[in-house]
Amino acid sequence: MMLRINNNKQRNAQFLWGWLFILPTMIGLIILNIIPIFRTIFQSFFKTGDFGKGNIFIGLQNYSKLFEDTEVWQSLWNTIKYVIVEVPVSIMIALIIAVLLNQKIKGKSIFRTIFFLPMIAAPAAIAMVWRWLYNSQFGLLNNVFNLDVAWISDPSIAIYSIAVIGIWSVVGYNIVLFLAGLQEIPRDYYEAARIDGASGINQFFHITIPLLSPSIFFVSVTRMIAAFQVFDLIYMVMTDTNPAIEKTQSLVYLFYQYSFTYGNKGYGATIAVLLLVVIMMITGIQIYAQKKWVHYS
Amino acid sequence: MKKLMALFMVMILALSIAGCKNETITDQGKSEGGSTTKDNAVSKSSDKLTVAIWDTNQQAGLQEIMNDWSAQSGVKAEIQVLSWDEYWTLLEAGASGGSMPDVFWMHSNNSQKYIKNNLLLDLTDQILASDKIDMNHYYEDISELYAMDQKQYAMPKDIDTIALWYNKTMFDEAGVPYPDSTWTWDTLYETAKKLTKDDGSQYGYAINTGNNQDSYYNAIYAYSGKVISEDKKTSGYDDPKTIEAMEVFEKILNEGLSPNLQIMAENGADVLLKSGKVAMITQGSWMVPGFRDNEYTSENCDIAVLPKAPDGTRVSIYNGLGWAAAANGKNTDAAWSLIEYLSTKEAQLKQAELGVTMSAYKGTSEEWKNGVPYFNLQAYLDMLDATLIIRPYSLSTSIWEDMVNKELRAAWSGEATMKDTLIKIAESMNKTLAEE
Amino acid sequence: MKSRDYFFKTIIYVVLLMSSFVMLIPFIWMILTAFKSITETTNIDPFVIWPSTWRLEAFKRVLENMNFVMLYLNTLLMIAGRILAAVLTATLAGYAFGRLHFKGRDIAFSLVLFQMMIPGQIFVIPQYIMVSNMGMLNTIFALIFPGLVTAFGTFLMRQSFMGLPKELEEAAYLDGCNIGQTFLFVMAPLTKSAMVALSIFTAVFAYKDLMWPMIVNLDKDKSTLASALAKMQGQYMSNFPELMAAALIACIPMVILYMIFQKNFIEGIATSGGKL
Repeated sequence: MMLRINNNKQRNAQFLWGWLFILPTMIGLIILNIIPIFRTIFQSFFKTGDFGKGNIFIGLQNYSKLFEDTEVWQSLWNTIKYVIVEVPVSIMIALIIAVLLNQKIKGKSIFRTIFFLPMIAAPAAIAMVWRWLYNSQFGLLNNVFNLDVAWISDPSIAIYSIAVIGIWSVVGYNIVLFLAGLQEIPRDYYEAARIDGASGINQFFHITIPLLSPSIFFVSVTRMIAAFQVFDLIYMVMTDTNPAIEKTQSLVYLFYQYSFTYGNKGYGATIAVLLLVVIMMITGIQIYAQKKWVHYS
Repeated sequence: MKKLMALFMVMILALSIAGCKNETITDQGKSEGGSTTKDNAVSKSSDKLTVAIWDTNQQAGLQEIMNDWSAQSGVKAEIQVLSWDEYWTLLEAGASGGSMPDVFWMHSNNSQKYIKNNLLLDLTDQILASDKIDMNHYYEDISELYAMDQKQYAMPKDIDTIALWYNKTMFDEAGVPYPDSTWTWDTLYETAKKLTKDDGSQYGYAINTGNNQDSYYNAIYAYSGKVISEDKKTSGYDDPKTIEAMEVFEKILNEGLSPNLQIMAENGADVLLKSGKVAMITQGSWMVPGFRDNEYTSENCDIAVLPKAPDGTRVSIYNGLGWAAAANGKNTDAAWSLIEYLSTKEAQLKQAELGVTMSAYKGTSEEWKNGVPYFNLQAYLDMLDATLIIRPYSLSTSIWEDMVNKELRAAWSGEATMKDTLIKIAESMNKTLAEE
Repeated sequence: MKSRDYFFKTIIYVVLLMSSFVMLIPFIWMILTAFKSITETTNIDPFVIWPSTWRLEAFKRVLENMNFVMLYLNTLLMIAGRILAAVLTATLAGYAFGRLHFKGRDIAFSLVLFQMMIPGQIFVIPQYIMVSNMGMLNTIFALIFPGLVTAFGTFLMRQSFMGLPKELEEAAYLDGCNIGQTFLFVMAPLTKSAMVALSIFTAVFAYKDLMWPMIVNLDKDKSTLASALAKMQGQYMSNFPELMAAALIACIPMVILYMIFQKNFIEGIATSGGKL
């Protein structure tokens, strides 16, 4: 209310302090990231030469090629499938575990550390263990459960198998954020609810979820953005002779192939722009929709 | 917490200042080099060369050789290993405006691109002036990989050939004689039949679908087919001879003598040999250390020359790395001196002796075969006397190789005939070549 | 009542134990692999789960060949530098984006989000060139450089500030605090658990980053744990027992750091009690 009383003076003060506070971040971001981003967008209008020399302007040719390139659209579809599985499932699992870890239980700090561990596991170990789990002939999954599933070389399921690795590796990330969020929920709320006779499940849906919604929103936006950029997992597990590669390669995988393996930075940049547009749309929707369900106090 | 933070901050400040002091001397030199001012105040004798490579397995041996050079020249040379992807990112970043390592490896996939953009030090005059180097001593096609318009931009470092690995125990069990120089690719097919067990526990032969150089390329050229034309303008995949050679592999896969595509994509031929799943694979000499360190293969496996074509032609595809220096390096004299030393007969002999790799200097690799007494490494040396064909390449090798790998899966899995697949591949490859 | 609680507790433990086990699989695998022979690590039929004998060679060799003290130190300095920079810049910016209203805020914030939407691979080469031109290759500064500011952290801190109750801020204004004082004395201390989370992520991302340290600090003495581990993987074959042994040794300080940090999560409960 006070903000409105002293309108002009407040507005000036907020402007000055606001810019002062964001200045270090903005300067850093512009130099480190934003300029390279715009250079990339710029590149998408060129047939690029080697090492950034001898670029030839070709207008929208890269884009018209992009629209006809079924490989690109397939990759977009693969990426979307990955996101749809990875993001919601990892959020749900993390939510449950974070809430459990927030109860009065023994060994809390050991459990917390265990869930943190996958985040610092060496990529070589992650790749090795999952290849072993998934190996169709000799792998653990098929042998223990007596299955005959080609987890990572059957085109119709490989992307989901990769999403499972994704879930496994980001659950810890989500848990850390939810735990941080849970600390901000005052204990008294639960005590009041308990006196009113609300069950644990009731408390979860009526206190925890709404009050944790800023954290959930943050996690879903950042995870969505990151999941759309899935690359490492696919790069680690798949080879280009794998029968499932077309149905698993993500947009960033394709971007990487064009930019670094094939040396076609211009077309790589075009793919990156497509990715940018898709992510922007979805993030935009999320930010718009947050008003409906996110509770800021 | 606050104290911890404060402590960190003090540490950071202290160390970054200390870091600055040390670095200003050496790094100024580097950035000046980057802006093409070649002579600088840094005294050359106290300087050190940074050498970048991408294979950790070669580091120890190469460092030993470089130490010999340092003892003569008084300049230190320190090898830094990167992994393959990071290596090329570093070179690309260096080429786009940063600083490059002083001396580094070049690979045939990328050499033309780097030469064309004047990023590699032109060694032509130094080679002519040198009394230690005569280009006739090196395998010509390897030198050629690193040359353009009669100028030489890198010195041949090593050479690799392909040979046939087989599991002696499996041959003994089946009562089949070991592979020898009389074998043709058809003999390989016939023998694979005898060594394949119906229950899928053992296969006769595994083709390395992910690597053309150590598998089907050798057969294609033995059958006098080709992958790319001499002028690098057209694809050779629709050549009837190429198709004939590839149909041998088609037979092997269709008849189940090789693990199916799925197993191959998930495991790789070398792992299958190491696990006792296949009786024969063809692999390059660069894989020897892996089989050497494995107890199973060292007890059960050995090496023979590759099979030949029906007309008696035996071919090994080969390739070799080059030693290159940065054109804008800060100490190109020392860089050349190091490359010159690495190319001498003495250093090349030592490279083979230490078991690093076979050497690009003709006739220096004899010692290499003694590196692993329990394998007949002579087979790889014998392949040097077969018809040597340099690994086919053009400006856009990585593009069409990727495409071929992907398209061939249809043939490997039996979804399409080999012939149809190859004709399709040729069309697509011709398109890529036309755009070069 | 009592028995129902007991029942729920049991379920909680069962769920936590089972999911912990799944999470631990790669670590169990790493530990087992570190004790195996090279032959055992490449055999696929059957996959070797238990080493035939427990060999210590890999650990011995790795400890002999790698200068872990140096690697720990470089990694810690990189992590400390990035945490310091990230917490500082992101808390300031997060507050401005989350709680102040001023012209240009939304555009500036969309630039922040923008950064997260582009594949990180495009930043490596331009940033390398910057560091190279500054003459700062092979320094701790080079390791910290890309983490000087953080879009992710800015977003995280903004969310955290947005979650704080308005009343606190208004009370501070009424007490005569200006915006800077309100931020420093009232608001920032309340986002401690978000700062801890940010520190953890900054540490983890920095720890795992291998491409940047590898190319920017070629010098062995300025290398970090992750890049030193990545270098151990050969082009065609890797010595997996040694790789895993090294990876395990490399994890230890991170686990210890995490255990120190997570205490702050628990302390967070105490502070939030008096928040309203």
